[in-house]
Amino acid sequence: MAKIQLLINEKRYTPEVDPDMPLLWVLRDIVGLTGTKYGCGIAQCGACTVHLDGKAVRSCSIPVSTIGERKITTIEGLSRKGDHPLQLAWVEEDVPQCGYCQAGQIMQAAAFLKQNAHPSDEEITKAMTGNLCRCGTYQRIHQAIKRAATTTTTQPPR
Amino acid sequence: MNRRDFIRASALAGGGLMLAFQATAQLDNTAASEEMLGDFIRITPNGDILFQFVKHEMGQGVSTAMAQIIAEELGADWQRVKIDFPLANMARYQNDRNGGHDTGGSCTIIYQWDLLRKAGATARQMLVTAAARQWKTTEANCIAENNFVTWKGTSRKLSYGELATAAANIPVPIDIPLKESCSYQIIGKPKNAKLVPDIVTGTIQYGLDVQLPGMLIALIARCPVFKGKLKSYDATQALKVPGVKKVFTTQPIAGLQTDAPYMPHDIREGVVVVADTFWAARKGKEALEIEWDEGPNAKYSTEDFEHLAERRAMHRTDPTGYIGDENAVSNLTHVRKTLRASYIYPHQLHACMEPLNCTVHMQPDGCEVWMGSQAPNLIVSELKRIYHFPEEKIKVHLFPSGGGFGRRYYPDMAVEAAFISKEAGNVPVKMIWTREDDHQANLAHLFQYMEYQVALDKDSNLYAWYEKEIRTYTWAAKYADPQLPSMAYDIPNIRFDFEDMIADELVHSSAWRGVVSHGRCYSECFLDEIAAELKKDPYEFRVSLLRHGRDIYTGDQYPVSAKRLLGVLTLAAEKAGWGKPLEAGRGRGIAICPYGNSYCAAIAEVTVRDQKLTIDRITLAADCGNVINPSGAANQLAGGVVWSLTALLYGGLPIRNGRAIYTNFHQNKLLRMNECPKIDVHFVDSDDEKPWGVGEISTPLGVPSVLNAIYAATRKRIRKIPLAANAFQV
Repeated sequence: MAKIQLLINEKRYTPEVDPDMPLLWVLRDIVGLTGTKYGCGIAQCGACTVHLDGKAVRSCSIPVSTIGERKITTIEGLSRKGDHPLQLAWVEEDVPQCGYCQAGQIMQAAAFLKQNAHPSDEEITKAMTGNLCRCGTYQRIHQAIKRAATTTTTQPPR
Repeated sequence: MNRRDFIRASALAGGGLMLAFQATAQLDNTAASEEMLGDFIRITPNGDILFQFVKHEMGQGVSTAMAQIIAEELGADWQRVKIDFPLANMARYQNDRNGGHDTGGSCTIIYQWDLLRKAGATARQMLVTAAARQWKTTEANCIAENNFVTWKGTSRKLSYGELATAAANIPVPIDIPLKESCSYQIIGKPKNAKLVPDIVTGTIQYGLDVQLPGMLIALIARCPVFKGKLKSYDATQALKVPGVKKVFTTQPIAGLQTDAPYMPHDIREGVVVVADTFWAARKGKEALEIEWDEGPNAKYSTEDFEHLAERRAMHRTDPTGYIGDENAVSNLTHVRKTLRASYIYPHQLHACMEPLNCTVHMQPDGCEVWMGSQAPNLIVSELKRIYHFPEEKIKVHLFPSGGGFGRRYYPDMAVEAAFISKEAGNVPVKMIWTREDDHQANLAHLFQYMEYQVALDKDSNLYAWYEKEIRTYTWAAKYADPQLPSMAYDIPNIRFDFEDMIADELVHSSAWRGVVSHGRCYSECFLDEIAAELKKDPYEFRVSLLRHGRDIYTGDQYPVSAKRLLGVLTLAAEKAGWGKPLEAGRGRGIAICPYGNSYCAAIAEVTVRDQKLTIDRITLAADCGNVINPSGAANQLAGGVVWSLTALLYGGLPIRNGRAIYTNFHQNKLLRMNECPKIDVHFVDSDDEKPWGVGEISTPLGVPSVLNAIYAATRKRIRKIPLAANAFQV
């Protein structure tokens, strides 16, 4: 057991945990942030996606002791009022069915759009191919990302 | 049906109207059969309409569609309608499929349709009466819409919230007329699913997200071989893992649960690790030393099982049903040529994205259960059977789930979790299946082996159809009533044989989205084989066999309508551009089917180059009667195709020496975005005013439509899935 300093959604936490424990289970079982989901535990499905310093990572496969100073953002911290352009686009396109994978999908897409504000269809597909959706909402996920990318345009698309 | 409705209204604590709607329905021909139906709405003084949702929301969108129906008749402001998940209540929502908690078979909306409209209309009338009394005017002067009652010709209006408490004290009116469909403002309009805002912010709670004070986490190491038993285990190392509290076996509750009222389930023997966190429980589980007695299946593999099915398929059984001459395929006087083919639909995993789980807090005289379940009624009946608690002492909290697909119908998770909570000292315990458990010790989709034979007469007409289904799953009696293939083609002689392989099972079979329709829809591939033999266009051939337009009674609840099949087929062909030339290496394939009383057609367009398959596009046309929520329904139909394409490309549950080969998603692949075709969904403008199911209707069609398209592109027939195991690069 070790005391580990974490900065999650701009809030400091100091949980005393097994240093091997993946970030996913620290978030869910210790901190009580259950928006991040357990899907496979081996970084194959993307349900557990969170941001470390803005980059999308699979929290099920990152031991909490390796995080250090990096800022953690979960779906609960993506926006203050649930109004991130992707969250709004997800509502507009009526994307989810069961919804279980969608927090991970949104976190993946949010990190991607930060790097590539005007993606092509192929770039969206490539960026999202690591995230599974058993309900099969891929087409609407794709549409929602396009919508968000268009609505956040501050400069003319390439 | 002679139906009297009883509606009870009561004032809410803190003001507002609580409307409980119950109806006693009495079937004319069975005077003793009495069913209770029930549902609720609550209207709070601030005007929120809280729809008490007692079915299971697993992504199929019924919470939204049901709320649309009641909100329409209520004249509610859709923005003020919210979904509430109350406690399960066996007395109020009796398990008769109509009014109970039970959610499956794509039946929810059709069974709730009348009830919800009456409930909404009755509440609206009570609000109108309350307003009329307050204003001392006639009810005819009052109009209720958009959460307000207004006095015609004046500027006076009262909100539903302001009226709710007064309305609760008004005698419940009977026989309130329902709206005409032409005046609908919510039904039939695309509405975003009500739970979406909670989903996108991560605030939605699934069963796996339950947190209780003092709660522990349990994982179970289950026997990896079906029918195997626990020989011995050593927990010494596991108990040394920090956080591990207790280790014990599940032997007392394990085995095939045949005493369950229906849908028997299986609980594999195992060793439980109870710990303070998932991670500690997982480490503890890995540290267990277990010796299994692998039992009769220790040397049993998928190939052995399929060979056994093949041998069974070769001989005739007593037909479960037939039309015309039951031995017509062998009638030498009429038959010029016969064709024969067999198709395999292997076991499949549900792979719900939310791993299976259940939280239970046992107490000496009852228990509390937290779980997203398709059948909380089965949880109650099983816990009652095992622990002898009275029903009202078994409190089941309802949750949405991260996918059900039939797997969450079975109550085994609750039986395991209840046992663990008790053995752990009556503390709350959340029992979780890891994704590896999900792959290696789970119930699976039933296996189907389909054997077909047809006879053509001297004029090359389809003279006789013989079909034999071999399957690992039945509900109760094996087709007590005559049963025919689920199709409406004009064939003078049809025979259907059935045999089960339950005693020879590799795994315990269960219902999987689409259930028996998957294997039985291979008839659409065999029909393509016949069309090819006759050098006929697959579309024209189907049209010629459906032109009779009649309803065919196949032994299912609803007859199969040739007219409606023709309707979806024609629309799909038009939208897909059937008949337009395609370049070499590309092809289109058709499949059509009924499901319940809905109908769907799929046309797949594929490219095959150097053994590499790309599924370019799937066009769907559906006749589901009255579509309550076009957005949700289109989502279901598209998702249903993705469901079937996973089975087509990668599915199956290969077993070697009794053990599942796949352990997780790196081996058991699911369709991903880069493999997902463009899916277009179209609805037939149906004459049918009733809303039939949409959750499963497209699921049987991905496999046969794509296989037929592959044939069109390559002249290669594939009769077994998955393609990844069939020399195809996917």
